Amino acid sequence: MNLESGPEIEDFRREVAEFLDTAPTDAIREAGRKTTSVFAPFDEVMQWHGILHRKGWAAPEWPVEHGGTGWTAEQRFVFAEEYCRRDLPPLLPNGLKMIGPLLIDLGTDEQKRRHLPGILAGEDYWTQGYSEPGAGSDLASLTCTAVPDGDDYVINGSKIWTTLAHRANRMFMLVRTSSAGKKQQGITFLLLDRVDYPGMEIRPIVGLDGFPEQCEVFFDDVRVPRSGRVGAENDGWTVAKHLLRYERGGSMQSPWLHRFVRMIRAAAGERTSPFGGRLADDPVFQRDLGELEADVASVEHLERLAVSGHPIAADPAFPSLNKTIGSELIQRLTSLMARVSGLEGLALQLQALEVGAGADPLGDGFDLIAMPYYLNSRATSIYAGTNEVQRDLIARSLTNR
Amino acid sequence: MDFGFTDEQAMLRESVARYLAKNHSFEARQAILRSGRPHSDEVWRAFADLGLLTLPFPEAAGGLGGSVVDLVAVGELFGEHLLVEPYVASVLLAGRALAEAGEQPAAKHWLGRIMAGEALAAFAHEEAGGTAEPSQVAVRCRESAGGYRLDGEKRLVLGGADADVLVVTARTGGEPGEHRGLALLLVEPGAPGVRVTPFTTVDGRSAAHVGFDAVEVPAENRLSADAHGAITRTVDGAVIALAAEAVGAMGALLRQTGEYAVAREQFGTPIARFQAVAHRLADMKIACTKARATLLYTAALAEAGRAAPRDLSVLKAQVGRLGRAVGEAAVQTHGGIGMTDELAVGHYLKRLLVIDAMFGQSDYHYRVVGAAAS
Repeated sequence: MNLESGPEIEDFRREVAEFLDTAPTDAIREAGRKTTSVFAPFDEVMQWHGILHRKGWAAPEWPVEHGGTGWTAEQRFVFAEEYCRRDLPPLLPNGLKMIGPLLIDLGTDEQKRRHLPGILAGEDYWTQGYSEPGAGSDLASLTCTAVPDGDDYVINGSKIWTTLAHRANRMFMLVRTSSAGKKQQGITFLLLDRVDYPGMEIRPIVGLDGFPEQCEVFFDDVRVPRSGRVGAENDGWTVAKHLLRYERGGSMQSPWLHRFVRMIRAAAGERTSPFGGRLADDPVFQRDLGELEADVASVEHLERLAVSGHPIAADPAFPSLNKTIGSELIQRLTSLMARVSGLEGLALQLQALEVGAGADPLGDGFDLIAMPYYLNSRATSIYAGTNEVQRDLIARSLTNR
Repeated sequence: MDFGFTDEQAMLRESVARYLAKNHSFEARQAILRSGRPHSDEVWRAFADLGLLTLPFPEAAGGLGGSVVDLVAVGELFGEHLLVEPYVASVLLAGRALAEAGEQPAAKHWLGRIMAGEALAAFAHEEAGGTAEPSQVAVRCRESAGGYRLDGEKRLVLGGADADVLVVTARTGGEPGEHRGLALLLVEPGAPGVRVTPFTTVDGRSAAHVGFDAVEVPAENRLSADAHGAITRTVDGAVIALAAEAVGAMGALLRQTGEYAVAREQFGTPIARFQAVAHRLADMKIACTKARATLLYTAALAEAGRAAPRDLSVLKAQVGRLGRAVGEAAVQTHGGIGMTDELAVGHYLKRLLVIDAMFGQSDYHYRVVGAAAS
């Protein structure tokens, strides 16, 4: 075993820190402080994406020839650590971590040329059209149809949980192109280069936290070009499964999880325990925070092993393990946030959560985000395949031999 | 970064694995437990032949100069095979504490005998506090005419009933809670005033409570003064080795429970088909994955000399809690047969319970982590 470290990595850390300290605008920092979801405030995070892109740092995980940074795994970890140590919104995952890597792997040269630059630069936002009202965890039951007609597909049906579709200008989606054979066999993966085709209607859905983060999208005889197909017709399930590996695993969650721990520690240092003294010195709080910190440490250890190429990450169930562990830890961390915030977190403060609204929050910045974060993160064990589905897959890796 | 085993570590692991697979099946292990002997002398001799008794010690002291990760590589196997031999007790705890004393003649003498497989030693350190933190030591050692006089009691001394010599942590000064005034002493178990109360732990290990009533210790048997650092390093090494055992035991439970859930049929179908059972298996795998990642990463930190006390607490707490959870889930999944002495499953659970309880339970270590200023 060998842990890499040395003056070079510390030089790199300084270079990253200097940029992250100086490049973001005040509005971007405010968006970071007001982030209560995987999806940060849209306008500011896309602006920040553009700034990072101009520096060449928008997509550290991409291959260099497509605009990646060429950093080592250790450098990427340092970048993520420094990033999460500051009040910065996380870049939206749909482009950089989902459709971008998928197109790099499976897109045609034309699709790469056409779409990757906009994803990399943060000029395009892609919403994901997978789930339907009748097809959630059982995604292969989807019924939104696409019928070939000349150079087009004609789409009818609807998609739901299309995150930020009302802010999107692109969409990738799964459609049913055949009802013959197994239900997985008649699915096709499509790229839509706009979301305002005639016959498309986007309706935002207000979530538990009071924000319209999710949407429903309706298709009524919508004609889209066939050139947007990724992979073969009726082979979209293979494409979707490939993308799921990016959606569920592979990214570095632990620096972001450490950020929760720091916020909770700081807040507990300023609050009193009902038994007297600071909450940070309360033995029950310390024990509970300690368990979460230890679990965050284990996620970090697993990620460090994974990026080093250790066989532990070659397990076929690794994406499901990663998704389940990370998503449930976020839920436990945001639960502790809400617990620490207590009564102060009960005020509904939608206005004050808007970036640039100028409305003064009741309580402090921690109280402002604790409850919305808790509420929003109930979704982490539902999206990208419910954790029940993930556990099915994990168990199968033990019992199918 | 590289967290894999080196070729040499893989070879060592392979040779130990081959020996244990051939000679230390679960049935063979149960026979050792029934023999009335605390462990198998034959296995111990084989350990000597495999170089395991000299592995952790510096080459200057006659050892193989093995690393933390070497011990993790074999420790996982010890856990997988439910070894009852006093490797941690005699080699990693007492032996390491002796090695900390360097050239001290009495320490050198006993370490040599341990490495040769001629003697067993035990490390008498834990008291009633539920933590291995050296500053909690309350056992007193006062200067006397011939050297020192020792008073107090040590609880659950692994291998304490069979040891040829005891390495005892005691306080020559300061008060419990203070780092200063700690010493390591060599005490012969037959010395007047030493009370050894032998028992077997729930996981089949020989242990003892050891009391000291005005025990006279010659001056030359004081190995080191100001021993807080030496005791901490000794305990930390044992914690990593026990964590490796725990992870080995958890991996074995995961594999055996998965196989059982496929083979066992109820209601006309393998019970693995039931989602309630499948999800428990998934949770076991999640726990095993987290624990093993933390073991391997912490071992790499320790090897680089960068493991902070917080890192050791994270490791001990995680294997304690996750190990217990995996053990309980394995018994539940096996149903009635999992409750019996004849299956390995319950023995793994008991091993994991003991590992959690020693050197600070998971709740203690979680609080240490939660209280630490970061």
